[in-house]
Amino acid sequence: MVAITTGRIDPADVLGRIATPGTGGIDVFIGTVRDTNEGKAVASIEYTAYIPMAEEMLRKIEQEIRARWQVEQVVLLHRIGLLAVGEVSVLTAVAAPHRAGAFEACRHAIERIKADVPIWKKEFAPV
Amino acid sequence: MHSVTALFFGPLREIVGADALPIDVPDPFTGDAAFECLARRFPRLSSWRGALRLAVNREYVPFDRTLEPGDEISFLPPVSGG
Repeated sequence: MVAITTGRIDPADVLGRIATPGTGGIDVFIGTVRDTNEGKAVASIEYTAYIPMAEEMLRKIEQEIRARWQVEQVVLLHRIGLLAVGEVSVLTAVAAPHRAGAFEACRHAIERIKADVPIWKKEFAPV
Repeated sequence: MHSVTALFFGPLREIVGADALPIDVPDPFTGDAAFECLARRFPRLSSWRGALRLAVNREYVPFDRTLEPGDEISFLPPVSGG
């Protein structure tokens, strides 16, 4: 399951949907909006995306993961729109039979998203 | 002249003031040439050149890639998702 979404990302909902009988472990990365950036206060962040390209890249990252690690489920979600401090902006989750693959694949997913997926943020200071 | 549509995101969208613009590019019909055309029209783009990546039909490609009529191209500023 991969998506660029305007809806709120609910980690509990995602976890409830990806466990299968073959799953030995689920590794999850949750990115949230932080209240500072380079020393300046942040109240909210607006995320925008080149949506069709971003979703194609998320599918490609899922394929990379499936080619390299033994995994059951891959979830890559990034929210766009205006998010307040503390809200979930990105979630990567990998359910796998063994923890090593789950950790490595989840790390790969978030690093690839941050490096290459066409998403941009614009920070807004408190008024 | 060859025509392509360029899409703009993030800070570049603010510079050009549009989500998308048609560009007429003379030979050679490449990403580099398309950028030159845009930079003549929007001089503030020039200083961005070193930071940008080119996407053609939603895939990253080198700037010297030859374009085809009707391609969807975009000069993408550094991404900052996460």
